[in-house]
Amino acid sequence: MKYAYYPGCVAKSSAHELYNSTAAVAERLGIELVELTAASCCGAGVINEGDPLLSLALNARTFTMAEDMGLDILTICSTCQGVMSQVKWQLDTDMKLQARTNEALAKVRLEYKGKVKIKHLLWTLIEDYGLSKLKQQIVKPLEGLKIAPFYGCYLLRPAEAWQFEDHNKPTSLEQLITLLGAKPVHYEGETKCCGFPILFVQRETAFEMAGTYLNNARQNSADFMVTPCPLCHISLDTYQAKSSRKVKASIDLPVMHLPQMIGLALGIKPEKLGFSKHMISMEKVLRVL
Amino acid sequence: METKEAVFRVFRYNPENDEKPHHQTFNVKIDNRMTILDALENIKHEQDASLTFRRSCRSGICGSCAMKINRLSKLACKTRVITEVEKHGEVLIEPMENMPPIRDLVVDMGEFWREIDRGTPWLAWDEKLSDSMKENLLSNEQQQISGKLADCIMCGCCFSDCVSRTYDRNFNGPASLAKIYRFVCDPRDKEGAKRVHGLVEMGLWSCTHCYFCWSQCPRDVRPVAAISELRTLSYNTLDPSQGARHVSAFMDSVRGSGILNESTLYLKTMRWNVVRDAGLILRMAAKGRTPPLLPRAIPRIEEVRSLFRLAEEMKHK
Repeated sequence: MKYAYYPGCVAKSSAHELYNSTAAVAERLGIELVELTAASCCGAGVINEGDPLLSLALNARTFTMAEDMGLDILTICSTCQGVMSQVKWQLDTDMKLQARTNEALAKVRLEYKGKVKIKHLLWTLIEDYGLSKLKQQIVKPLEGLKIAPFYGCYLLRPAEAWQFEDHNKPTSLEQLITLLGAKPVHYEGETKCCGFPILFVQRETAFEMAGTYLNNARQNSADFMVTPCPLCHISLDTYQAKSSRKVKASIDLPVMHLPQMIGLALGIKPEKLGFSKHMISMEKVLRVL
Repeated sequence: METKEAVFRVFRYNPENDEKPHHQTFNVKIDNRMTILDALENIKHEQDASLTFRRSCRSGICGSCAMKINRLSKLACKTRVITEVEKHGEVLIEPMENMPPIRDLVVDMGEFWREIDRGTPWLAWDEKLSDSMKENLLSNEQQQISGKLADCIMCGCCFSDCVSRTYDRNFNGPASLAKIYRFVCDPRDKEGAKRVHGLVEMGLWSCTHCYFCWSQCPRDVRPVAAISELRTLSYNTLDPSQGARHVSAFMDSVRGSGILNESTLYLKTMRWNVVRDAGLILRMAAKGRTPPLLPRAIPRIEEVRSLFRLAEEMKHK
């Protein structure tokens, strides 16, 4: 298995533990990741609001790199997945828009052909790698742990742009949690917004969103939360103390990146998975294991 | 036709008798074609005549029967019972959110209508067109844009499932903003793009792009896409708000290095407000998770900068 790897900006900046844990998990599973080092930021749905055509052109430029390699794109960020998949959907369903985008790309001697697929790590593990094969690799089941999946928005909506699973009742994280030997915890808010997109603009609202869902997961006895998106992780982990104060609760709920959770079950040493960088301590979770 | 029994858990609340709301369970014989509205009418006619809900056209046109079905806002007349049962095992029926319940499944939609009114949802007739004896027809292209937005039936599903509205009562919500954009797109409206003035105060930058309004709209109006278009217009008309500053800082960062510079995005958007995070920044630094101030530019950055220039030129074509 080989992919054109698009880690996204945050995994290479403030969330290095996500980048490193992905590398460790990919190595253990024999997944080859060829990083798109010349790819630009996807725009996170923000550049689109400054200039929609620019957002299309920047992402189409990234697609051309994967097309040249003959590989599908694998990302570890739900937001990148959502933005890129939506751009691809727009380009593939609106030929006028594709022509206009290619008009811009032609000036830098590139052309989008529509051959690339965009996949999140979670989807590749289920669809391409296969859960039964993954099960064989587990050496340290996460027994005794109750894990709250946080799907967030961009892995699920809008369903028109990609349809991995039922966006109204997703089960992919739950399947994975169960496979790793832990118990999934359901709570109100697992498919809602973490608040990150408005964290710098309407921060009190963002804190209240994150705080409410974290608190719901905690009250349903979760030992930790897992997210497939580094931006959700910023909102849920980095700003958790502020969110807790906002909802007047003492939450203290650790939040893992998806590959960190998988890495633990694969027997990768916690030090290699970068838990020391989290703002909410993972100590209690690691002690259970 | 094959029939089976489905369990309905229905929100009940009669302020005259109930101290607080509760759920009541009903068993209903269903077939594969039955809608949620059919089932509710069956309950009302055969089991409990006091069950109260709104409905009218039964055809997905009037928008009256919007309610929460297994925690998502939908039209009862457009939702099949069998689909819900297969997915969730039972049917949980509750009133819409973000609006206070009046009785059972009926909510007070006053807040929703007030937000719609805030956006002056009517055509501001351009007097220059008034002398014309001809019809003022839209082109097919114009019709495709404003026609889709005009499909809104004001059911309130998007308002009900809007997470931002739950926590920010100043945010006027997706339906109101989509309606405003419908008139921005209409060349017969004399206000046109000027309608974006004042939207910052109505919460233009409060939307999180969670896409619930897109997913739950029974008419596929896609309000979040309209909100993005309004933000683009606002950003391009020198909107001085923090939301527009965020876009500007993001664009600067990607133009400069090809990637997002988390530090400058934060500093330029938040300005003096960063002092409120001083303690957090120190704790992040101690954990080694503060992003670099000057990230290295990506290879082939000139292509990215060219695309910035080209997109700008094409905008003015």
